[in-house]
Amino acid sequence: MLRQRVLFLKENHVLRILKRFMMAGLFAIALLLILVHKIDLGVISGISKGVLFITAPIIHVASLPAQGMSYSYKKISEITNIYKENERLKKENEELFLLKDQIRAVKAENQLLKKMLHHLDVPNIKTKTARVIAETGNSFSNSFIIYLGKGAHKIKPGYGVVGPHGLIGRIDIVSGRYARVSTITDINSKIPVVSASSRDRGILTGTNSPELKLVFTPLLAELHKGDLLVTSGVGGGLPPDIPIARIKQITMDTITAVPLFNPSEIEIVKIIIYDAFPSDKELKDIE
Amino acid sequence: MKSSIKNFLSETIVFFVPIIIILVLALLFYLPRSGSYWNFLHLAPFYIGIYFWQSQRADIFHLFSAFILGIFADVLEGVSLGINITTFLVLYLISVKYSTKFNVKRFSYSWLLFATAMLITLMFKALITSILYRQLIPLDFLGMEYLLTVALYPLLARIYILLERRYIHLEERYEKI
Repeated sequence: MLRQRVLFLKENHVLRILKRFMMAGLFAIALLLILVHKIDLGVISGISKGVLFITAPIIHVASLPAQGMSYSYKKISEITNIYKENERLKKENEELFLLKDQIRAVKAENQLLKKMLHHLDVPNIKTKTARVIAETGNSFSNSFIIYLGKGAHKIKPGYGVVGPHGLIGRIDIVSGRYARVSTITDINSKIPVVSASSRDRGILTGTNSPELKLVFTPLLAELHKGDLLVTSGVGGGLPPDIPIARIKQITMDTITAVPLFNPSEIEIVKIIIYDAFPSDKELKDIE
Repeated sequence: MKSSIKNFLSETIVFFVPIIIILVLALLFYLPRSGSYWNFLHLAPFYIGIYFWQSQRADIFHLFSAFILGIFADVLEGVSLGINITTFLVLYLISVKYSTKFNVKRFSYSWLLFATAMLITLMFKALITSILYRQLIPLDFLGMEYLLTVALYPLLARIYILLERRYIHLEERYEKI
């Protein structure tokens, strides 16, 4: 049977010229997109949001059986280790019981000192939990997609995302009930930090590898291997004192640190809804 | 006129079949799993899919298909929009060159050529990413991604062959109406 002529493949001069320049044109568009993405125009984030809006629900539905299996496996392993876990918890409880009184005394002292110094606590912190539905982490990017559920409209790009051990990343794009999170190991990530012990400042940058680099530290900084790095709160993007990484190695040229989380173990995360600058209504309330 | 519309619809459906197959496979690779090695395979269905469909069914896989897949890959990966688009276009170009010069229908040739095409493609991607971020991409992880993607080629190519056989008669079916 002879093939009939197809509507949109009708050969003419225009189509022939278009075909010839299609390759160059598409390359030019792709390169233009890279450049425009750097400038951060609304059009690009619109495209990204649109694609995320289509793909994220599909991944979410597809991940449900896997999540169910993972949950069952966890429950079975918990049941088999229940005796050991009970013994460990008993020991931990005894230690915590001893610490409780000390913490109460320190807390009371802390409140008294804060009152004396007219110290202002970090304002406007609220949290929201979310579930990880897809993850990426290779040489080119480190991010994951989370399901926000109800109340997704409260989440804005830039909000911090924390796990049980500390900061994991920041919200990159929010689309519908889903959001993409860029982890602190991503090459684009740059977070102002401070050493928890010496209070020396620096910028923690991602390298797309499991290690982070600490840059812009003072010349006479007293940093040591194993020091905990916490967010400094500088810039107002993140609240201060969230644990983020531990210093792994210090050489003449570079300071490397390792994050406190394991990417493959993240299932549930907490989003920190934090605005450094309070709204007009909140300002009135403070007054 | 009626048959022309049917033809147009059939061509359009056939155009989207490879794209949808690649996307579905890619989305399955994005599911969270234990083990960090999976992370290096997220883009494997895209790379293998573009190379496979271009070399085996160039009639239904166009340059524009690679462009569309690039947009999806960019957003899913969380990289700057355009990086994966450019990379996929490079891979498509290499695949076109190979198809004209070598017998890509033979599996052993096809696998070997894919290995060389991937090497060039990943090097190109590493180069533009490094330029964009003014920072060198970790090459050890790049090597890992390359090896795992090349190793996965026979399996994914087999899946694509099965799916192609399932849908290959789609065009004929519509033409007979």
